[in-house]
Amino acid sequence: MKKTTILDLVSRKLAPFMLLFGFYLLAYGHTSPGGGFQGGVVIASGVILLVVAQGVDSAESLFPSPALSRVETLAFLLFIGAGLTGLAAGMGFLGNPFAQVDVQAVPRVGIVLVLNLIIGIEVGSGISLICLRLFREE
Amino acid sequence: MKHRRLLLAAEVTVLALTALFLFGALRGQHRESSDIRGYIIERGSEETGALNLVTAIYLGYRAFDTLGETIVLLIAVTGVLYFLMSAEGKHEEDDDT
Repeated sequence: MKKTTILDLVSRKLAPFMLLFGFYLLAYGHTSPGGGFQGGVVIASGVILLVVAQGVDSAESLFPSPALSRVETLAFLLFIGAGLTGLAAGMGFLGNPFAQVDVQAVPRVGIVLVLNLIIGIEVGSGISLICLRLFREE
Repeated sequence: MKHRRLLLAAEVTVLALTALFLFGALRGQHRESSDIRGYIIERGSEETGALNLVTAIYLGYRAFDTLGETIVLLIAVTGVLYFLMSAEGKHEEDDDT
Protein backbone atom coordinates (compact mmCIF):
# COMPACT_ATOMS: atom_id res chain seq x y z
CA MET A 1 0.00 0.00 0.00
CA LYS A 2 1.38 3.36 -0.99
CA LYS A 3 1.25 6.02 1.70
CA THR A 4 0.68 9.55 0.51
CA THR A 5 1.94 12.69 2.19
CA ILE A 6 -1.61 13.92 2.78
CA LEU A 7 -2.58 10.78 4.68
CA ASP A 8 0.61 10.87 6.69
CA LEU A 9 0.30 14.53 7.66
CA VAL A 10 -3.45 14.57 8.32
CA SER A 11 -3.37 11.46 10.47
CA ARG A 12 -0.47 12.82 12.49
CA LYS A 13 -2.25 16.13 13.07
CA LEU A 14 -5.67 14.61 13.69
CA ALA A 15 -4.88 11.73 16.05
CA PRO A 16 -3.92 13.82 19.12
CA PHE A 17 -7.13 15.82 18.78
CA MET A 18 -9.18 12.63 18.56
CA LEU A 19 -7.55 11.38 21.75
CA LEU A 20 -8.19 14.75 23.38
CA PHE A 21 -11.83 14.71 22.31
CA GLY A 22 -12.18 11.22 23.76
CA PHE A 23 -10.86 12.41 27.10
CA TYR A 24 -13.16 15.44 26.89
CA LEU A 25 -16.12 13.11 26.48
CA LEU A 26 -14.96 11.16 29.51
CA ALA A 27 -14.39 14.18 31.70
CA TYR A 28 -17.69 15.87 30.84
CA GLY A 29 -19.87 12.76 30.61
CA HIS A 30 -21.76 13.75 33.74
CA THR A 31 -22.99 17.10 32.42
CA SER A 32 -23.17 16.70 28.65
CA PRO A 33 -23.86 13.83 26.25
CA GLY A 34 -21.03 11.36 26.25
CA GLY A 35 -19.71 9.13 28.93
CA GLY A 36 -17.44 6.22 29.51
CA PHE A 37 -18.28 3.90 26.66
CA GLN A 38 -18.53 6.54 23.94
CA GLY A 39 -15.40 8.34 25.07
CA GLY A 40 -13.48 5.10 25.20
CA VAL A 41 -14.50 4.23 21.67
CA VAL A 42 -13.41 7.68 20.47
CA ILE A 43 -10.01 7.15 22.11
CA ALA A 44 -9.76 3.76 20.45
CA SER A 45 -10.65 5.32 17.10
CA GLY A 46 -7.73 7.72 17.51
CA VAL A 47 -5.44 4.75 18.05
CA ILE A 48 -6.98 2.98 15.06
CA LEU A 49 -6.35 6.03 12.88
CA LEU A 50 -2.69 5.90 13.88
CA VAL A 51 -2.59 2.17 13.15
CA VAL A 52 -4.20 2.54 9.74
CA ALA A 53 -2.20 5.54 8.60
CA GLN A 54 1.18 5.07 10.28
CA GLY A 55 1.42 1.31 10.49
CA VAL A 56 1.12 -1.09 13.36
CA ASP A 57 4.72 -0.85 14.50
CA SER A 58 4.81 2.90 15.00
CA ALA A 59 1.42 2.82 16.73
CA GLU A 60 2.66 0.03 18.94
CA SER A 61 5.72 2.04 19.92
CA LEU A 62 3.31 4.68 21.21
CA PHE A 63 0.77 2.28 22.75
CA PRO A 64 2.57 -1.01 23.54
CA SER A 65 0.12 -3.88 23.80
CA PRO A 66 1.48 -5.33 27.07
CA ALA A 67 1.00 -1.92 28.68
CA LEU A 68 -2.50 -1.66 27.20
CA SER A 69 -3.54 -5.03 28.55
CA ARG A 70 -2.13 -4.14 31.95
CA VAL A 71 -3.99 -0.81 31.89
CA GLU A 72 -7.23 -2.59 31.05
CA THR A 73 -6.95 -5.04 33.92
CA LEU A 74 -5.92 -2.26 36.27
CA ALA A 75 -8.92 -0.17 35.21
CA PHE A 76 -11.26 -3.01 36.05
CA LEU A 77 -9.69 -3.41 39.48
CA LEU A 78 -9.98 0.36 39.96
CA PHE A 79 -13.67 0.15 39.11
CA ILE A 80 -14.22 -2.34 41.91
CA GLY A 81 -12.04 -0.22 44.20
CA ALA A 82 -14.09 2.88 43.41
CA GLY A 83 -17.21 0.90 44.20
CA LEU A 84 -15.75 -0.10 47.54
CA THR A 85 -15.23 3.55 48.52
CA GLY A 86 -19.00 3.95 48.48
CA LEU A 87 -19.19 0.93 50.76
CA ALA A 88 -16.65 2.51 53.09
CA ALA A 89 -18.68 5.73 53.19
CA GLY A 90 -21.71 3.76 54.33
CA MET A 91 -23.80 4.11 51.16
CA GLY A 92 -23.59 0.62 49.73
CA PHE A 93 -21.53 -0.78 46.90
CA LEU A 94 -21.00 1.77 44.06
CA GLY A 95 -22.76 4.50 45.98
CA ASN A 96 -21.73 8.11 45.50
CA PRO A 97 -20.45 9.49 48.81
CA PHE A 98 -20.11 13.00 47.39
CA ALA A 99 -23.77 13.35 46.49
CA GLN A 100 -24.58 14.18 50.07
CA VAL A 101 -21.92 16.84 50.41
CA ASP A 102 -23.63 20.18 49.99
CA VAL A 103 -20.82 22.29 48.62
CA GLN A 104 -21.61 24.48 45.65
CA ALA A 105 -18.01 25.16 44.64
CA VAL A 106 -17.00 21.52 44.53
CA PRO A 107 -18.91 19.54 41.90
CA ARG A 108 -20.89 16.81 43.52
CA VAL A 109 -20.22 14.28 40.79
CA GLY A 110 -17.55 12.49 42.81
CA ILE A 111 -17.64 8.83 41.99
CA VAL A 112 -19.58 9.30 38.73
CA LEU A 113 -16.67 11.20 37.18
CA VAL A 114 -14.18 8.64 38.44
CA LEU A 115 -16.24 5.75 37.08
CA ASN A 116 -16.62 7.50 33.72
CA LEU A 117 -12.86 7.96 33.44
CA ILE A 118 -12.17 4.36 34.48
CA ILE A 119 -14.73 2.89 32.06
CA GLY A 120 -13.43 5.07 29.24
CA ILE A 121 -9.83 4.02 29.79
CA GLU A 122 -10.84 0.39 29.98
CA VAL A 123 -12.97 0.49 26.81
CA GLY A 124 -10.34 2.46 24.91
CA SER A 125 -7.47 0.17 25.85
CA GLY A 126 -9.50 -2.96 25.23
CA ILE A 127 -10.73 -1.99 21.77
CA SER A 128 -7.35 -0.63 20.68
CA LEU A 129 -5.76 -3.86 21.95
CA ILE A 130 -8.08 -5.95 19.78
CA CYS A 131 -7.51 -3.69 16.78
CA LEU A 132 -3.71 -3.70 17.17
CA ARG A 133 -3.77 -7.50 17.25
CA LEU A 134 -6.15 -7.72 14.29
CA PHE A 135 -4.15 -5.32 12.13
CA ARG A 136 -0.89 -7.10 12.89
CA GLU A 137 -2.37 -10.36 11.66
CA GLU A 138 -1.97 -9.63 7.93
CA MET B 1 -32.25 -6.20 -14.59
CA LYS B 2 -35.50 -7.27 -13.03
CA HIS B 3 -33.66 -8.60 -10.02
CA ARG B 4 -31.95 -5.27 -9.57
CA ARG B 5 -35.20 -3.35 -9.74
CA LEU B 6 -36.67 -5.67 -7.13
CA LEU B 7 -33.69 -5.03 -4.87
CA LEU B 8 -34.12 -1.28 -5.29
CA ALA B 9 -37.80 -1.51 -4.39
CA ALA B 10 -36.93 -3.53 -1.29
CA GLU B 11 -34.35 -0.96 -0.22
CA VAL B 12 -36.81 1.90 -0.68
CA THR B 13 -39.42 0.03 1.32
CA VAL B 14 -37.04 -0.62 4.18
CA LEU B 15 -35.94 3.01 4.23
CA ALA B 16 -39.51 4.26 4.19
CA LEU B 17 -40.50 1.94 7.02
CA THR B 18 -37.47 3.06 9.05
CA ALA B 19 -38.34 6.71 8.48
CA LEU B 20 -41.93 6.06 9.50
CA PHE B 21 -40.84 4.27 12.66
CA LEU B 22 -38.32 6.95 13.57
CA PHE B 23 -40.87 9.69 12.96
CA GLY B 24 -43.29 8.00 15.30
CA ALA B 25 -40.69 7.22 17.93
CA LEU B 26 -38.74 10.48 17.96
CA ARG B 27 -41.62 12.90 17.86
CA GLY B 28 -41.28 13.30 21.58
CA GLN B 29 -44.95 13.09 22.42
CA HIS B 30 -44.94 10.15 24.73
CA ARG B 31 -48.28 10.55 26.35
CA GLU B 32 -47.88 7.84 28.92
CA SER B 33 -46.16 9.18 31.97
CA SER B 34 -44.72 6.90 34.59
CA ASP B 35 -43.85 7.48 38.20
CA ILE B 36 -40.24 6.49 37.76
CA ARG B 37 -39.74 9.01 34.97
CA GLY B 38 -41.08 11.88 37.01
CA TYR B 39 -39.02 10.77 39.97
CA ILE B 40 -35.79 10.64 37.97
CA ILE B 41 -36.42 14.00 36.33
CA GLU B 42 -37.16 15.55 39.68
CA ARG B 43 -34.58 13.98 41.96
CA GLY B 44 -32.11 12.20 39.67
CA SER B 45 -29.29 14.70 39.53
CA GLU B 46 -29.80 15.60 43.14
CA GLU B 47 -29.42 12.04 44.37
CA THR B 48 -26.56 10.90 42.17
CA GLY B 49 -24.69 14.17 41.63
CA ALA B 50 -24.68 13.96 37.82
CA LEU B 51 -26.46 16.64 35.80
CA ASN B 52 -26.82 14.39 32.77
CA LEU B 53 -29.77 12.16 33.56
CA VAL B 54 -28.53 9.34 31.36
CA THR B 55 -25.32 9.27 33.36
CA ALA B 56 -27.35 9.61 36.54
CA ILE B 57 -29.12 6.39 35.63
CA TYR B 58 -26.26 4.30 34.30
CA LEU B 59 -23.68 5.28 36.90
CA GLY B 60 -26.01 6.21 39.72
CA TYR B 61 -29.08 4.05 39.99
CA ARG B 62 -27.77 1.22 37.82
CA ALA B 63 -24.05 1.29 38.48
CA PHE B 64 -24.14 -2.41 39.26
CA ASP B 65 -25.40 -3.06 35.74
CA THR B 66 -22.48 -1.01 34.42
CA LEU B 67 -20.11 -3.15 36.49
CA GLY B 68 -21.59 -6.18 34.73
CA GLU B 69 -21.05 -4.53 31.33
CA THR B 70 -17.44 -3.87 32.25
CA ILE B 71 -16.95 -7.51 33.19
CA VAL B 72 -18.53 -8.56 29.89
CA LEU B 73 -16.16 -6.26 28.00
CA LEU B 74 -13.12 -7.53 29.88
CA ILE B 75 -14.05 -11.16 29.21
CA ALA B 76 -14.80 -10.42 25.54
CA VAL B 77 -11.41 -8.74 25.03
CA THR B 78 -9.68 -11.60 26.83
CA GLY B 79 -11.44 -14.18 24.67
CA VAL B 80 -10.75 -12.39 21.40
CA LEU B 81 -7.09 -11.95 22.29
CA TYR B 82 -6.83 -15.60 23.31
CA PHE B 83 -8.24 -16.83 20.02
CA LEU B 84 -6.15 -14.41 17.96
CA MET B 85 -2.97 -15.36 19.80
CA SER B 86 -3.65 -19.07 19.45
CA ALA B 87 -4.40 -18.63 15.74
CA GLU B 88 -1.11 -16.78 15.36
CA GLY B 89 0.80 -19.51 17.18
CA LYS B 90 -0.78 -22.18 15.00
CA HIS B 91 0.12 -20.20 11.90
CA GLU B 92 3.75 -20.06 12.98
CA GLU B 93 3.70 -23.78 13.69
CA ASP B 94 2.37 -24.41 10.21
CA ASP B 95 5.16 -22.32 8.81
CA ASP B 96 7.72 -24.37 10.69
CA THR B 97 6.51 -27.73 9.51
